[in-house]
Amino acid sequence: MTAADAAIAARRGRRATGELSPHALGVAMNLPTICLLLLVLAYPVAYAGYLSLHQVGIAQLRRGVFPWNNWANYTRLFEDPLFALALKNTIIFTLLVVVVEVILAIGIALLLNRASLWTSRLARLLILIPYGVPPITNGLIWSFMYSFQFGFLNRILFSLGLIDDPVNWAGNPDTALYAVAVAYIWRTLPFAVLIIHAALQGIPRELYEAATVDGANAWQRFRAITLPLLAPVIVVILVLRTSFAFAVFEEILAITQGGPGDATFVAAWYSYKLTFSPPNNIGMGAASAYVLAILVGLFAIAYVRLIYRRIG
Amino acid sequence: MEPRGLPRLLMHLGNGLVILFIMLPIVAVLVGSLQSERTLQGESRRVIPSEWTLDNFTVILTQGQQRGRIFEQATYLPDNIKSFYRAFANSLVVALGVTMLTVGFGALSAYTVARLRLRWALWLMQANVVARFLPAIVLMIPLYVVVRSLGQLNTLHAVILTETGFLLPYAIVILVPFFANIPVDLEDAARVDGCTRFQAFWRIVLPLSTSGLSACAVIMFIISWHELLIPLILNSRPEFMTLPVIVASLVGDVHVFFNLLMAICLLSLLPTVVLVALLQRYVVEGLSAGAVKG
Repeated sequence: MTAADAAIAARRGRRATGELSPHALGVAMNLPTICLLLLVLAYPVAYAGYLSLHQVGIAQLRRGVFPWNNWANYTRLFEDPLFALALKNTIIFTLLVVVVEVILAIGIALLLNRASLWTSRLARLLILIPYGVPPITNGLIWSFMYSFQFGFLNRILFSLGLIDDPVNWAGNPDTALYAVAVAYIWRTLPFAVLIIHAALQGIPRELYEAATVDGANAWQRFRAITLPLLAPVIVVILVLRTSFAFAVFEEILAITQGGPGDATFVAAWYSYKLTFSPPNNIGMGAASAYVLAILVGLFAIAYVRLIYRRIG
Repeated sequence: MEPRGLPRLLMHLGNGLVILFIMLPIVAVLVGSLQSERTLQGESRRVIPSEWTLDNFTVILTQGQQRGRIFEQATYLPDNIKSFYRAFANSLVVALGVTMLTVGFGALSAYTVARLRLRWALWLMQANVVARFLPAIVLMIPLYVVVRSLGQLNTLHAVILTETGFLLPYAIVILVPFFANIPVDLEDAARVDGCTRFQAFWRIVLPLSTSGLSACAVIMFIISWHELLIPLILNSRPEFMTLPVIVASLVGDVHVFFNLLMAICLLSLLPTVVLVALLQRYVVEGLSAGAVKG
């Protein structure tokens, strides 16, 4: 109880006014949230664990009986070369997206911070547009960009005279994953730029002026002032983007559907296909999603540790 | 410190590249949706078509009634394109419902985290932060089984409740810093004058946080407008599909060509892109609040 609380209590007697104790009020105000989180988050997570240990297909769904199958979902999962490939693709995709996005975001945020340039002000006005584009729409737009015969990218390159034959951006197994990554980066970059830009504006100008007086050049100022002060938000972006890119789904669905062949089969797509297309192996789908959740959960715990280090 | 000469030129160049990258897909969706299948296929090496047309939008917005010149001979139009208005209305109902519930429940919870100094409220907050990272697919598989066994597939309320549960942690994370920034003295003064804690929250904290609540509401609306996986898995009947589900259903339909696809893409991105443009300040505030403090 703080001094203010004590003063208030002393002035009018807490019980007499019928005010709830902080604990009771806290429970009352959190009741809707707790109920909903139990219903939509906690229970499904537990139930997914249950499903992942049982044989669940359409036939079992109809009968409502899920026989125990002795970890067979997991053993089959880890023996499936497609799952291993999906995990590998997911990791490549995530690493690529995170590294490129953080580097681009720092560079772009520094550019946008030059308020004296009219191009910077224009770019700052436009940078948030991709945030408004629905992920599935974004995927479909990029599938038009990449289309082998009719794509917009090839049209531009033809018009500029840069290519003589059309390039099959998303249809070539060697480039498909990168093509999806570019589409994904386009949609998610504004968030990273925005957060870094906000952090840049919080750095006092005097620091730079003092460093300049001391003879530091632009690179030295960046290394000694900007980067260390941006470090906390960069970590936030790293962890957030890693977790979300691990579960990339819409752009895969719209651009490649896991193809060509299985070049862009990622973890979330693997779980989705296994569960929701025939023969609907829901048990194994749940097992694969669980593995994904555990991988992402490790990042999440690291993130919370990082953020709440001071409080905890 | 103002850059001059070559550095200044390079910065303009960098900004130019950024603008080009941002605008390229937007230009593509515009140019693609404003031409016919004939020019798209016939002039496959030209950026700017020789003919422009609004027929793609006409056929979608009249639900296939007015086909216009370029669809005159078309015998097949996917049913989902014809149910555009229904999907738009469903998306609106879902997004508004989710926004109201997340902001309402989120504000109640965020206040307890920001003000009541309860150890378990802080745990709840940490659980929220972790929950934000759960991949949607993990929850959708069990939720599909549960919702199916309850006979609630193909309803809007199941989608609204599920999305609310998904987004509530993020809403709380966004709102906590806004509440924490309101001076405690104001509340204390009100309580000395006889307000209960809840009245202080209702009459002082909430009215003072309208910008935070708006920021949170805008972001919740945008994310729920964009959500695909939840309505895709829970609703398969056309009358309950949302706009992203309609868009997804056209993927792989060989009879729908890019001109019509880009038109429906443009229509589906317009509401939230306009929202982002008009309410940029709130989007920026909300995203920063939700990212920096946790």
